Amino acid sequence: MQMAIVKMSSFNLFAFDSNRDDLLHELQKFEYVHFEDLEEAEDLKDEGLKSVTVPESMVEIDDEIAKVRHAIDILRRYHSEETGLKAMMEGKPSYTFKELEEKALKVDYLSAYEDLKELASKVDRIEEEENQLNALKEELEHWIKLDYPIKDLKAFEQSKVFVGTLPIKLGDKLDEELADLEYSHVEIISEDDENRYLFALTSKDEADKLYEVLRSSSFSVVDLVGDGTPREEIDSIDLKLEQLAEEKGKIEDSIIALLKHLSEFEVVYEYLVNKKLRLSASENFLATEKVNLIKGYIPMDMEGDFRKTIESSGLEAYYLEIEEVDRDDPNVPVLLENSKFAEVFESLTNMYALPRYNEVDPTPLLAPFYLVFFGMMVADMAYGLIMLIATSIVLKKANLEEDTRNFIKFFFYLSFSVIAWGALYGSFFGDLIPIKGLVDPAEQYQSILMLSIFFGLIHLFFGLGINAYMHIRDRRYLDAFADAGVWYMSLTGAIGLILSMYVPVPAVLLTISKWVMIAGLVGIVLTGGKDVEGIGAKIGVGIYELYGISGYVGDFVSYSRLMALALSGGFIAAAVNMIAGMLFEIGVIGVIFGIIVIIFGQSLNIFLSLLGAYVHTSRLIYVEFFGKFYEGGGKRFNLFRSKPEFINLK
Amino acid sequence: MTFSEFLVSHGGVFFGGLGVAFAVMFSGIGSATGLGIVGQAAAGLIIEEPEKFGRTLVFQLLPGTQGLYGFVVGLMIVGQLTIDMPLIQGLYLFAASLPVGFVGWGSAIAQGKAAAAGVTVLAKNEEEQTKGLIYAVMVETYALLAFVMYLIIANAIVF
Repeated sequence: MQMAIVKMSSFNLFAFDSNRDDLLHELQKFEYVHFEDLEEAEDLKDEGLKSVTVPESMVEIDDEIAKVRHAIDILRRYHSEETGLKAMMEGKPSYTFKELEEKALKVDYLSAYEDLKELASKVDRIEEEENQLNALKEELEHWIKLDYPIKDLKAFEQSKVFVGTLPIKLGDKLDEELADLEYSHVEIISEDDENRYLFALTSKDEADKLYEVLRSSSFSVVDLVGDGTPREEIDSIDLKLEQLAEEKGKIEDSIIALLKHLSEFEVVYEYLVNKKLRLSASENFLATEKVNLIKGYIPMDMEGDFRKTIESSGLEAYYLEIEEVDRDDPNVPVLLENSKFAEVFESLTNMYALPRYNEVDPTPLLAPFYLVFFGMMVADMAYGLIMLIATSIVLKKANLEEDTRNFIKFFFYLSFSVIAWGALYGSFFGDLIPIKGLVDPAEQYQSILMLSIFFGLIHLFFGLGINAYMHIRDRRYLDAFADAGVWYMSLTGAIGLILSMYVPVPAVLLTISKWVMIAGLVGIVLTGGKDVEGIGAKIGVGIYELYGISGYVGDFVSYSRLMALALSGGFIAAAVNMIAGMLFEIGVIGVIFGIIVIIFGQSLNIFLSLLGAYVHTSRLIYVEFFGKFYEGGGKRFNLFRSKPEFINLK
Repeated sequence: MTFSEFLVSHGGVFFGGLGVAFAVMFSGIGSATGLGIVGQAAAGLIIEEPEKFGRTLVFQLLPGTQGLYGFVVGLMIVGQLTIDMPLIQGLYLFAASLPVGFVGWGSAIAQGKAAAAGVTVLAKNEEEQTKGLIYAVMVETYALLAFVMYLIIANAIVF
């Protein structure tokens, strides 16, 4: 088991263009291949190599993917998703790549897709019609009191009818103006928040005049559609809606009957997405008329398997060279491999930045500190036990994706630390169940504060040590001395001096501390400017480097959060218990409410404590620890597989 | 009893109580404001993507911790109050309550703004949401320092 950045080899592969599909297929099964994009390789292009044009079949595949995706989306709408826990327990079906291909090729999804498409478009049409009818019905509902057939309103010989709306805020002045009209009758049929729904009957002679009056009050004509009275029209719309709903129900039943194909569609989808990835991989290649040049990276210890894969892929002829990579080449992709324990902490490294290929993988280095610090911040036996039990059950029962599984495992490991620190602090749901711990945080927070700073010291010194290690590994001894050595001296000396103020130390030790510190500080000034030219600049930069000491002061103080978070969490738990205790004293109802307060309060505190510990420990790692040695910025090694959405792919 | 006599005999407990009030009050105002700021941003996101509710809650809770630190400091001061405590002790506790109150106030609002920006990260680039979370947590350092300083102050002098 490797614990670090996986060693890479680079390869150059020349193969016939006609064999490309078979070759890529085999390589996809192999999975651990990262192609180098040769699109930018001008030197090769100058020699006459051209970019490979993406095969036309890409368009077809995109089309197929779109169809399958459409089918999945339709079916998922009718899929009564098993809720939460049960779905998590069952998880997604698992396939190997070979099983996936075999299963996908057996499925004839097209006929099911055509059926589905037709059914779905029928549903869409019905829904559209329903919307129209509903809009019509809503419109008519305002006129429901108008007990007269709509078609007759326009059929008067001597009179004219106006039907329409008036904005309510302009309505009042209308009455005065209407008083001048002799042969007009205006009636408000109904009103809502914004409009009055108005019916006006007038003689043909006066129609224009009335219209003018109405128009000046922002009247807008409504064109009622239909034959019967509004009431009759609404009834007939309701009848139509009922029929449509029935029809829709039947169609939906047929869609639900097709649900059995959902898992097939999902498998086909994953297969097609991988196929697309395979075809689009050729965008990375260069080619002459008949030969492809493929460059890329593979893990060094898979070299043998890689050769075998290519040999067995049925190529007529090929040329393969594999060589060691240049450690400092920024193009080398980075793949992390860690022990089962450290693996779960990889998400933290990923979140910050992948290491460059010539750095170290910080994951196994940060893991033990993360474990200790997280526990120290939560520090409650009961909270730890809850974490332990919950994560154990999930890990045992549920079928999880790898990322989720690692995330749960992360908390599983952390729970032990939380329990241990809880026992040390004598905390079980705060002070709910009294336990005799080694220290009482409420009383002895000074000692815990000292301990926190001490942990900070170890953490920072360890970080500096890694920095020194990387320099020494690469034979840059002066850098090791400048970046770590002088700081070790200054800090150790300074700590010796500070300690001497509180505890009696022999005078010799004091003198040694003093001179070590002075030597360290001089060292900082002398080596700080090693990368700049000119004596003046060297001294200037060196003195500026001294300012870095204030950074260290800040770093140490930052570790006080190890104490503060545990203490505030403990106090909040205690406050919850106190409130519950007061409620307990007032009888049965008090006991019931007390229990509710405890459950609610403690749950909230667990959540807050875990969230706080998660982000604050991350901060100690990212800012204080990584600041001492880590840069990151490596390229990710892209596996030759697409990340599955509906299944687990092994 | 003149006012100064009253102050000497009962001022201790009064200023101690005032310390409790300041610690809880100002950090509480800050946290409430901060939560409000994040809540508004989160509510905007929920319109489009209600399934992100749980994760917005994480962002919203961040500026809530200042109020809790103030509450804890308040509780700790309450534990030391006695009716006949000397005036100087009361004044001292009052002074000790100020950092957590005022830093809590300012930092909770600042953290609320950072967390609201984090909600935007959650909205637009879900995978990077933890980074948004960490930016917001950076702000909290100063509230924590104020809280730690209370502990140091309270422990530095024994009455």
